[in-house]
Amino acid sequence: MIQHNLPDMIYKFLLGISGLSAIPDFLLVTASYLIPSAAVLGFVMFVSGMLTYAERKVSADIQNRIGPNRVGPFGLLQMLADGVKLILKEDIIPDAVDRKLFKLAPYIVFSGTMLAVTVVPFGGPFIVADLNIGLVFIIVVSSLIVVGFLMSGWASNNKWALLGGIRSAAQIISYEIPAALSLFTVVLIAGTFSMQKIVMSQGPYPWDWFIFHNPFTFVAFFIFFISSLAEINRLPFDFPEAESELVSGYNVEYSGMRFALFFLAEFANIFISASIAAAVFLGGGNIGLDPYESGIGFQLVMVLIFFAKVVPLCLVTIWIRWTLPRLRIDQMLSMCWKYFIPMSFACLAMTAIWMLVFNGNGIFWRMNG
Amino acid sequence: MVTVREYFGNITNAVRTTYKGMKITLKYWVKEPSITVEYPDRIGGLRSEDLVSERFRGYLKVETSKCTGCLLCMRVCPIDCILIEVNRRDDRRYLDRFDIDQAKCMYCGLCVEECPSAAILFSKKYEGACYDMKELCVSHVSSPVPAARPAKKEAPE
Ligand code: SF4
Ligand code: SF4
Repeated sequence: MIQHNLPDMIYKFLLGISGLSAIPDFLLVTASYLIPSAAVLGFVMFVSGMLTYAERKVSADIQNRIGPNRVGPFGLLQMLADGVKLILKEDIIPDAVDRKLFKLAPYIVFSGTMLAVTVVPFGGPFIVADLNIGLVFIIVVSSLIVVGFLMSGWASNNKWALLGGIRSAAQIISYEIPAALSLFTVVLIAGTFSMQKIVMSQGPYPWDWFIFHNPFTFVAFFIFFISSLAEINRLPFDFPEAESELVSGYNVEYSGMRFALFFLAEFANIFISASIAAAVFLGGGNIGLDPYESGIGFQLVMVLIFFAKVVPLCLVTIWIRWTLPRLRIDQMLSMCWKYFIPMSFACLAMTAIWMLVFNGNGIFWRMNG
Repeated sequence: MVTVREYFGNITNAVRTTYKGMKITLKYWVKEPSITVEYPDRIGGLRSEDLVSERFRGYLKVETSKCTGCLLCMRVCPIDCILIEVNRRDDRRYLDRFDIDQAKCMYCGLCVEECPSAAILFSKKYEGACYDMKELCVSHVSSPVPAARPAKKEAPE
């Protein structure tokens, strides 16, 4: 049987080393799903830590400053120092809050983020769960975050927090639509929702990528990228936290580890949106080989290729943050409803027509022979 | 027709201005070096005094060998932060005490201007953080020193 996901491979491996009888089967199954999940969790925490570092370094470079350079070589261990600081901080729960919701909210935000990671194809076989509805799953769980934001905003019993929560609901729900529509252009071409299959149906070279499949996917890529900025509350769409208007928005009452969870989720979101963009539009970790059958060396190369695409996208996200000022909230909504939704819908429709007219071939289809 | 043109004009405007802004920040990101001075511990082997300008007004310094003990500086100080005691012993005038309270001093420079023998001057020292405000009262004379004799006035031409 062809192994078509990571848990199966781990299961086979565990079965191989444990012998047939010793351990009950359900334990092995649980373990084979838990191991990649835990690994991905740890990995994403690491990545979001590195992103905080990158954010501070890039912002410093852009503003002619130096940025963190004291902890460890080039300040690389700054995130450890930050983490320790946040853990040691007193965890304050204000008197007037709704205690249950207040405590629950960060976990909902965090788990919404982490759920999205499970279907991100890290290149090669490294995808925790290759769901056949992967793309839809990402769209759905990323809107789960809204619930957490609203919950924290409401439970904080603070007008800024509440405004932040409401803004995030308005924003994330409206930008969900262009993001989803622009992702669906790719679904029209690939004919599947599975992230791994979408990656596999692209090729190693730029002209094989879906972004260059036709002019409309090219536009769709940018629409997706910008609306994902809005979905993850990055500038120029950071209304839910808008430091200068809402102090810090929905997380204003949080401190210590609970705040750190919001923070981690936020930076993990940058990574996730960058990796979705890389996997769906930029060919992910595809190097033209089968991700399951090729050797471990090639698989690692695939991971490298994937990150070579994700890291620049993350940097662009940060770069945008330090360039553009925040829009006004009505501008943000009119941008979504007047520009992005019609455009992404047009892209979807035109891609469908393109597929009919050109028989499913991209502009560069001749290059592929 | 106008609205259509406006609609697409908005889009091109957005793209153009974003591109412009991003180009500027990219220039600063990649090219421009940082201008941060990592005071106090990484200033390239310089002393903190070297970082300030020529005319910086730091702590007052007193060259007791030049000071004639005329008390002009003490009198002119608007906030009385200089205290000088001059006593005559064995036909000589001795500076027994020369304290300047740097905590009070507002660095107006009147004392420096007034001193006839340029004995009191601004130094460039500014790192005066300490645990007790009393430490900021600097004594420039630890044991009595003879005051300098005033220089002969140059004859007017
Ligand atoms: S600088 Fe001004 S305030 Fe300070 S000691 Fe001299 S006269 Fe007084
Ligand atoms: S420092 Fe100058 S002004 Fe003050 S007592 Fe001495 S000579 Fe006179």
